Amino acid sequence: MTASVIADASLLDPSVLARIGSLDLLARVVVQGFINGLHRSPNLGSSTDFAEHRAYMPGDDIRRIDWRLWARTDRFYVKEFEADTNTNFLVVLDVSPSMRYRGTAEDPSAVSKLRYGCFLAAALSWFSSMQRDRVGLATIDGTIREYVPPSAKHFQQVLHALERASHSAAVRADASGAGVATPSEGATARGAALRAMPSTLLAPLKKLSESNRRRSIIAVISDLYEEPDAIMSAITQLYGRGNDIVVFHLLDRHELEFPFADATNFMDLESGARMPIVPDYLRKEYKKLVKEHTAALSRRARDQKVDYALFDTSKPLDKALFAYLSARERLSRVR
Amino acid sequence: MGFLAPAFFAGLAALAVPVAIHLINRERKTVVEFPSLMFLQKIPYKSVRRQKLRHILLLALRCLALAILALAFTRPFFERQKLSAAALTGARERIVLLDRSYSMGFGDHWQRAQDAARAAVRDLGARDRATLVLFALDANAATPPTADKAQLERAIGAATLSAEGTRFAPPLKLAAQILQGSNLPRREVVLISDMQNAGWNRRDDVRLPAGTVLSAVDISSGDGRDLMVSQVSTDRTDDSTGARDRVRVAARVTNTGPQPQTVEATLELGGRPIEKKMVTVPAASAAQVRFASAPIPSGASRGTVSIPHDALAANDAFHFVLAPDEAVSVLIIEPGNARANQSLFLRRALAIGDRPSFRVAVKSTSALTTSDLVGRSLVVLNEVPPPGGGVGVRLRELVAAGAGLLLVPGDQTTDRWPPEWRTLLPVRLGEVVDRTSTSGGTLASLNYGHPVFEAFSAPRSGDFSTARMFRYRALAMPGDSGVDARFDDGHPALVEHVVGAGKVVVWPSTIDDYWTDIPKQAVFLPFVHALAKYAGRYADPRAWFTAGDVLDLSRHGELTSAFVSSAVAAPESMAARGVNAAADAPASGDLVLESPSGKRQRLSASGASHLAELHETGFYELRGVSTPVGSGRPIAVNVDRAESDRAHFETRELIAAVSAVPGTGDDGSAGGVSLPEEMERRQTTWWYLLLTALIFLVGETLLSNRLSRSAS
Repeated sequence: MTASVIADASLLDPSVLARIGSLDLLARVVVQGFINGLHRSPNLGSSTDFAEHRAYMPGDDIRRIDWRLWARTDRFYVKEFEADTNTNFLVVLDVSPSMRYRGTAEDPSAVSKLRYGCFLAAALSWFSSMQRDRVGLATIDGTIREYVPPSAKHFQQVLHALERASHSAAVRADASGAGVATPSEGATARGAALRAMPSTLLAPLKKLSESNRRRSIIAVISDLYEEPDAIMSAITQLYGRGNDIVVFHLLDRHELEFPFADATNFMDLESGARMPIVPDYLRKEYKKLVKEHTAALSRRARDQKVDYALFDTSKPLDKALFAYLSARERLSRVR
Repeated sequence: MGFLAPAFFAGLAALAVPVAIHLINRERKTVVEFPSLMFLQKIPYKSVRRQKLRHILLLALRCLALAILALAFTRPFFERQKLSAAALTGARERIVLLDRSYSMGFGDHWQRAQDAARAAVRDLGARDRATLVLFALDANAATPPTADKAQLERAIGAATLSAEGTRFAPPLKLAAQILQGSNLPRREVVLISDMQNAGWNRRDDVRLPAGTVLSAVDISSGDGRDLMVSQVSTDRTDDSTGARDRVRVAARVTNTGPQPQTVEATLELGGRPIEKKMVTVPAASAAQVRFASAPIPSGASRGTVSIPHDALAANDAFHFVLAPDEAVSVLIIEPGNARANQSLFLRRALAIGDRPSFRVAVKSTSALTTSDLVGRSLVVLNEVPPPGGGVGVRLRELVAAGAGLLLVPGDQTTDRWPPEWRTLLPVRLGEVVDRTSTSGGTLASLNYGHPVFEAFSAPRSGDFSTARMFRYRALAMPGDSGVDARFDDGHPALVEHVVGAGKVVVWPSTIDDYWTDIPKQAVFLPFVHALAKYAGRYADPRAWFTAGDVLDLSRHGELTSAFVSSAVAAPESMAARGVNAAADAPASGDLVLESPSGKRQRLSASGASHLAELHETGFYELRGVSTPVGSGRPIAVNVDRAESDRAHFETRELIAAVSAVPGTGDDGSAGGVSLPEEMERRQTTWWYLLLTALIFLVGETLLSNRLSRSAS
């Protein structure tokens, strides 16, 4: 990576981005900064890239006939470009309570997974909008909270929906006291909470797959706190309809490294169940389980031909954009 | 050697704690929110339990420290002293706490409560003293500590029921204060109440002094039968002419008894019976009774829905006030050469709706006079510079007094503005941002937590993204403070600034379709209404208060506006809010509040005497000093319906919670005996033991930290 890329990447630091009030502006800062760092055209995959000549067929647009070639060969050929797919781009953003998690409560500049997801969704949507793709958004929380159908004119609606998602999550967080389990419940609920945990992906993704009939690129942004089989069966429904899926798995650094020191009660943000935890004793096994979980997700995703990428929310957004670009570029090769 | 508190030897059981800590590490105190326990729950518990006692020295230190601590708390002493006989048989300081909340009016509860209080007084010996404390939401000592039984009985006989609810914390705290100041050796508290669960908040931190014996007299009868009017709603309706002069009243009647009840509900408006309807209320349930629409009497009128009196009469009537339709007065100032539609969209939008209704006037800047500003809640400068001269001064005073000022600059720049206005503005108006070359800008970032945008925060509740902003002025301001919305290029789109008690709000585009198409969007009407209500500081008028509430006239200008004369500037429903202590504020004490029982209180709309406690139920009347009786503004006060829930708690629970020394007796009393001071001085051994335990604990901490560092 060149120095310029690193310099620009610093602009993508979530703590820096959190200071930008407007998601629209943020999206531009992220994407333009990233593109400049790449030294590549922002029109990647657009219809300006010439692909090949093809013999003219009745019904072809005569404006696409290459007249110079006709002058040389006396035959009609039409120019073909890299696919101008004008595809749908749909962000599926998980807004469940666990996405509110922000590991470093002491650091006001740290962002929650949900906020990071909003940054990512805004940046990807803006990027797709620049590609003249139709952009849409679905926020999910066990069900579809809000749905902005993909459209070339819906970019601003997507940003407003993202703002609302952040606000609603904060309101729900303030009002979530009633759902907290008592310590005794937590103590006896060891293992029970896992069984009771509702799937946040299956039902909404099923609904989306049924309603979204046009082939789309779907970016699923979630912390994926479900069994890999459940996650992949949910995603498979979308993939089975010809969609191209990119899964952005967001985890806070605290979830990855489990740096807690003091023994205390841990409360599940999703279910409210509590559990006494001695981090020193559990850290090793916890990290092992997380690693196995992400490895299983990665392996299952590869088997299903789904792009999967794990992101630490304390890290800049450029990695996420690389993942997206690779998927987008692959699709744009389709003629 | 003896022990003052041998029960603390049970603390030796705490030795199991360090062992457990060594098994599952350190103690747990706080709760850490974590996204999911999914992985942690998968880790077999036995893997934790398998942790062996690896740090034997640490364990020994902890166990030793705990053992010494337990020993210290047993208060060992080496010189046994007999308890002073005076401590057990001396004079008594007795506090009689008598509940006078309105629920005590149920059946013969109040009579029985007074009898119990008299019995508690008659029981006193010649050297004993007693204090009578009456309480409902608050507590007051009806007598000073006295040995005069006749005085105490007179106070009991003179006590009356209040219209308020119950709170046990204030009388217990007052009792604790009195007892702490007492020098008598025996301390007693007698609580006489129906022990309503709603009156005791378990989080109240109340402790009686050590040695106090608390006894409770529960006078509740277990009879839960009661019918009450628990809620009333009013819905104004249009008549055939479209005028909103009729009201449809609905009431909710609740039955807490085990049998269905059929009662007659009566609606009164303006003091006259309007309609009677029979309603059958199922057992332990509620039913709604709807009255036919009735014409609204002129002015603020009194309304009551009542049912026949039963065992608890206080909750059988529900009073309310039908306030006159309060309109927000809006003045739009536009230039003399205004475009045809310049104020059209705003005027039309504000003409719609009735909660509240907006009374809009449009004036040309050249024809503007100070009298146009009288009573305005919101002034809109629609592409005109702020007025100068006397009108400008009045406008600034109006804003400082609590009115709103909406600036729509359009083509205007601050260059032509009077200098005194430039300092008042939160921003400097910059160049025009022209977005006509593209498809226009958009409102990209809205603060959905702000009152103006709060109504749009739910999904599918208004879409600002479709509004196109073709031109607007760049607003230069020192920081982000006060920016409630931004355009997609980051420029502020809605900025507010507090001036005195009022607000200046800047919308940097136009309010018609000249520079933007937002007036043609669906969100325009609710947006403009929310903006006008927020900037104009509109608040829904209260139809009733609850007994025990404090009436703050500075916050209820709608109550005082009819009796307050302001010079020019103070807006309607606002001058009386006390937002400006300038010359326009009414003089102190120029209002009279008359209670339902006829007690009068001098008040003012602002200043020191703008607060009044509402203790009685029924209709208070607020009027000016020179206003005839009966012509004032009625204020309805009802009993707190939560008090009607007569579910009660176990008295032993309360006694255990407030007694400093546990040991509840079977008779529902608790307490201990305060020890002589000289005895206290002789038991100093526990201090040395505590010090030793502290040393061990410090050593444990050092060792534990060292081990933790080496482990990590």
